[in-house]
Amino acid sequence: MTRRQFIQFVLKTASAFAIAAYFLGEKVSPRKFIYALRHKTYPGTVKPLSDINTQEKWSG
Amino acid sequence: MHIDPVEKKPFFHFLPGTSTFSLATVGCNLHCKNCQNWEISQLNPEDSQAAFCPPDKLVELAKSNNCPSLSYTYTDPVVYYEYALDSSKLAKAAGLRNTLVTAGYINKEPLKQLLKFVDAARIDLKSMSDDFYKDICSATLKPVLDSLVLTKSSGVHLEVINLVIPTLNDSPEQIRTLARWVKSNLGADTPLHFSRFYPQYKMQYLPSTSAETLDTARQIAFSEGMQYVYIGNITSKEGQNTYCPGCKTLLIERSGFTVLKNQLKNGTCPSCGKEIYGVWK
Repeated sequence: MTRRQFIQFVLKTASAFAIAAYFLGEKVSPRKFIYALRHKTYPGTVKPLSDINTQEKWSG
Repeated sequence: MHIDPVEKKPFFHFLPGTSTFSLATVGCNLHCKNCQNWEISQLNPEDSQAAFCPPDKLVELAKSNNCPSLSYTYTDPVVYYEYALDSSKLAKAAGLRNTLVTAGYINKEPLKQLLKFVDAARIDLKSMSDDFYKDICSATLKPVLDSLVLTKSSGVHLEVINLVIPTLNDSPEQIRTLARWVKSNLGADTPLHFSRFYPQYKMQYLPSTSAETLDTARQIAFSEGMQYVYIGNITSKEGQNTYCPGCKTLLIERSGFTVLKNQLKNGTCPSCGKEIYGVWK
C-alpha cells in the first residue's frame, strides 16, 4: 500500500464512522421537549359539591 | 363524588351492604372502544366540571356520611394517582378503608406504594389476549396480569371482573383460559365477576351480551374450579348470590346492589363452618 492509499483509507474509514455516529445520535437523542404548562387553577370549570347522596350513574 | 353501595363497584366479598364514598377525576390511561364511562374517562380536564375537594376534606366527608370506605373508581385511579395516594394515607389514618376500582395498567413500583394503604381492589381483566388489549384498549396485557398477582400477593382483598363482549372475548375457550389463569395465579377463592356488555362509545355496532352467554361463562368458571363466580350488569337471581363452595348453602342473597340476606357468621359458613374469602367487618 502506498502512503497516498493509506491516507485515503484512514480518511474514508473515519468519515464512515463519523457519518454513522451522526445518524445514530440523531435517532436516539430527543428531537424536542414539550413541557406541560403548570396551571395555577383547574383548567376546567370548578363547581360546588352537590348531590353526593345520590347513587352515581357511571359504572363502577 | 357520590355515595354508592359497595356492591356497585362490584365488591361482593368486602363489607357487604355498606356504602362507599366514591370519587373520580376525568381522564383515563386506557382508551377502550367499549368504555361504559367514556363521557368522563375520555375527557380532558379543560372540558370538564369538577369540585374542589382536598384529601382532608374528602376524608371528613366520607366520615360525616357514615361511609366506612373510600372508592377510587369510575375512571381509573392511575390517572389521579397522587391524589389517591394522599387521600388513602389520610383515610387509613382516620380508620377508613380504601378501595381501588382499576384496570390495573400501572407499573409495579407505584402500585406497591399505593397498595400499602389499600384494603381492597377490583381489577378488570378484560381478556387474556394481548391483541385485544392493543386493539380495543390501546394497552397491553402483561402489566395487568402483573398488577393482579402483585395485588393478591400483597394481601389486599381482590376481586376480578371481566366484561364479556360478543364476538370479541365471549368464546367458551377464552372464558376457560381466563378462569384457569385466575385460579392458578390468584387462587380459586378469588371472586370472579362476568359483566354484561352494552353497546357504548365506539362499539355501538355490537349487540348486548346475552344472559345465556353470561350463565355459560359462570358455569365454565365453576367447572374450572373457581369458587365464587358472579354475573353483573343484568338481573340474575343465582348469579348474584354467594354460596358456600363446601356445602352450597346460600350465604348472601342479593338483588341488584342490595343485600337481602347475609347469613355469614364471622366470615364463615353457618352450616359447615368453612371460612369464606373476604373482608366482612
